[in-house]
Amino acid sequence: MNIKDLGYWFRDFWAEFRREGSGLVGLALLILFLLVTIFENPLLPFKETNSRWRDITYWQDNPINAPPVWTNLFAQKKAARTINLEKGKREELTDDEGNSYVQDSFLYHFTADKAPLDIIFHSTIQGMVPYIIEVERPDGATIQLTQQYFEYSDTTPVRISVNNDGKDSLFTFLKIHDSEDNLSMVSSGSIRSTEILFNKAREGMAGSFEALKGNYRFIIKALVLDPDQFVLQDSHIVVTGSVSGLLGTDNMKRDIFSGLVAGLKWALFIGLFTSAVSVLIGVFYGIMSAYFGGIVDTIMQFIYQIFVSIPLLPVLIVVSAVFKPSIWFLIGVMVIFFWPGSVMTVRSMAFQIKEETYIEAARALGAGHRRIIFNHMAPLLIPYSFASMALSVPSAIVYESSVSLLGLGDASIVTWGQILHDAMLGNAILNGLWWWVIPPGLAIAIMGMTFAFLGFAMDRILHPKLRTR
Amino acid sequence: MYKWFATKRILKGLFMYALLIFIMSALFNSVVETTMRAQIEEQVRLESMRLKSKNTTALQKFQAERREQLIKNNKLDRPIWERIVYRAINTITFNFGKSTIIKSSRGERDVLTIIAEAIPRSLMLFTAAAVFEILIGIYLGLKKAQKPGGSMDKTTSLITMIVYGMPTWWLAMILIMFFVYTVKLFPSSGVHSVPAPEGFMYILDMLWHTALPLLTLVLIGFWGLAFVVRNIVLGILQEDYIMAARARGIPENSVLFGHTLRTAAPPLITMSLLSLLGSISGSIIFEGIFSWPGLGNLYWIAVQQNDIPVLMGDLAITIGLYQAGLVILDLTYGFLDPRIKVGGKA
Repeated sequence: MNIKDLGYWFRDFWAEFRREGSGLVGLALLILFLLVTIFENPLLPFKETNSRWRDITYWQDNPINAPPVWTNLFAQKKAARTINLEKGKREELTDDEGNSYVQDSFLYHFTADKAPLDIIFHSTIQGMVPYIIEVERPDGATIQLTQQYFEYSDTTPVRISVNNDGKDSLFTFLKIHDSEDNLSMVSSGSIRSTEILFNKAREGMAGSFEALKGNYRFIIKALVLDPDQFVLQDSHIVVTGSVSGLLGTDNMKRDIFSGLVAGLKWALFIGLFTSAVSVLIGVFYGIMSAYFGGIVDTIMQFIYQIFVSIPLLPVLIVVSAVFKPSIWFLIGVMVIFFWPGSVMTVRSMAFQIKEETYIEAARALGAGHRRIIFNHMAPLLIPYSFASMALSVPSAIVYESSVSLLGLGDASIVTWGQILHDAMLGNAILNGLWWWVIPPGLAIAIMGMTFAFLGFAMDRILHPKLRTR
Repeated sequence: MYKWFATKRILKGLFMYALLIFIMSALFNSVVETTMRAQIEEQVRLESMRLKSKNTTALQKFQAERREQLIKNNKLDRPIWERIVYRAINTITFNFGKSTIIKSSRGERDVLTIIAEAIPRSLMLFTAAAVFEILIGIYLGLKKAQKPGGSMDKTTSLITMIVYGMPTWWLAMILIMFFVYTVKLFPSSGVHSVPAPEGFMYILDMLWHTALPLLTLVLIGFWGLAFVVRNIVLGILQEDYIMAARARGIPENSVLFGHTLRTAAPPLITMSLLSLLGSISGSIIFEGIFSWPGLGNLYWIAVQQNDIPVLMGDLAITIGLYQAGLVILDLTYGFLDPRIKVGGKA
């Protein structure tokens, strides 16, 4: 069989495959998965998900256990969503006394019925910087939220949260508007800053929240004391809403959608690599066992018997618990236990092929064992193993996630099983955090379904006996 | 003849079990010994604490002697191959030693007792599930084979493929979330309520606790079985004697359940037992989601507490059960299909 034959074979195969509806769905899904893997970076809302999944500081601006943004569609009261205001308007001002200021202003259009959980200001600073944050509300009021003084010799990132640092000034704002009686119920420590900031200024605002919708202008303002030593850059604001991202966040404030996208390539890789390597090993093992026959066959069958009589998952768990393996080691162990899967069918088919006259002819012409196995037998049998290759992808993925579910996964990567492990630890089931439990498992199931579609379709084409009349 | 076949198969199973335990013993030797040394240290410390009256030198002497004695008892001073063989033999004779943290319900720390408590619960759940799966699977498979390519066959095959890669434990999580916390219908975990009710109520309580895990296992389990049954039965339905039976005017149901099912019995039983074994090998950790205190849950706890002796004992028992299952599988097959017993070339 040469390249041209392979082309013919493939064309025949495709002509039949086209008629398999579920097979085509599987193929489409597989292509979709591959595209997501290739365009992972543009798709990731949080670009450093892969390297900083377990870094709490990377996720600190997100809300905790927040439902997905689209749950707003079904909610009576719309919650504010988490957004990142990247681009501010940079202005350089000089006041009457000749002091020069640098200010970055950001416009936030507030339309929700519930206040955001927090507003977080980020800047990178160098030198002596008096740092002022102001807000202009839609009703015309201007509040100075906080005033800080930073002095850094190197450029240093600073992070200011309105919830923590704006409490006092917002309490002052509250005092202007609300009655003495209502104020006695609260203190500057007990108020939620954002619920004052986005509240309609009126009597009783300390007790109840009524959203003041419209444009809020947040201003980061710094007095330039020493122009040579002054840096204020990369200012951006994160509005932490109570709904966040496409699939919500977990109890470590991580964006679950990012985790799913980052885990996709690993699921795909683990599944495809494990099944491809193990099926290829199995095919050649089966061919050799049948081809050589006799004592070689007996020994090889005995070794095969040992491997099939080991329950895989328990062994995998114990090996992972004892050796704390990396993902490569885990894949290796899975390959060791997966290859026997395809040995028996291949062996019985190879027994038939071995007796064909063209093999005898090849031998008569003086072809060596290697030539007969690789050039005459393997090309006929490998296509038949494609189906079992596709069908063993889901089990490899499920085994990896099972091990990860127990908390024994490779901690340097993100996999769907690990997200589910965290969900178990974080009592997601008890607290009904469905956006944390359903998507990763569904992803595993859909991935399994994709390869089942492909595998069963190939199985029907390659093993015509199973075809319905 | 069958006696010979059975003896041979059982001996082979025992040999395989011993071999696997040897491999395991060699593979995990170092971690087991580290745990053992730690246990010896702890024992020496406990014993020396009881002897308060002695002075420091006497105490140190006692400790050194005791340590040496324990190390000798456990053969930790012997060459490595002897240690591996010794520990493999210990495992084969169910001598798993003491756990480091986990205790049995009566507070014992003997690993065998802990595992012996868990085995019946696992077997109960998984066999019950297997029975339901087999019944539903065979029925559905027969129906599918009756009209291959029909709408029933097509939809059920589609569902088979959809649930093909679905982890059982994930379905368990979803069902718990729905049936336990949203619709408060079933209990979330355990085999029975605490405290357990008496008499007839005890059985009802147990059934109530079993319902959801059982439902989960069955919901995912029978599809694949039905698909295999369909393929086996489809092959048989094309045989001439089925056509002859139909031509004689034998009712369709009788053809299906009488003629076809008897011929299909050997591979069907193999398939069913294999699916039971498959759930031991594949979905056993799903017990952990339900806190069902069986062998699978024991893996969870042992992994979390890092209790190596329990982990090793659990693995040995699981391998043993799996071997026993394979032996039973072959024995039933040989019993149902006389051709196997002869031992001719397969």
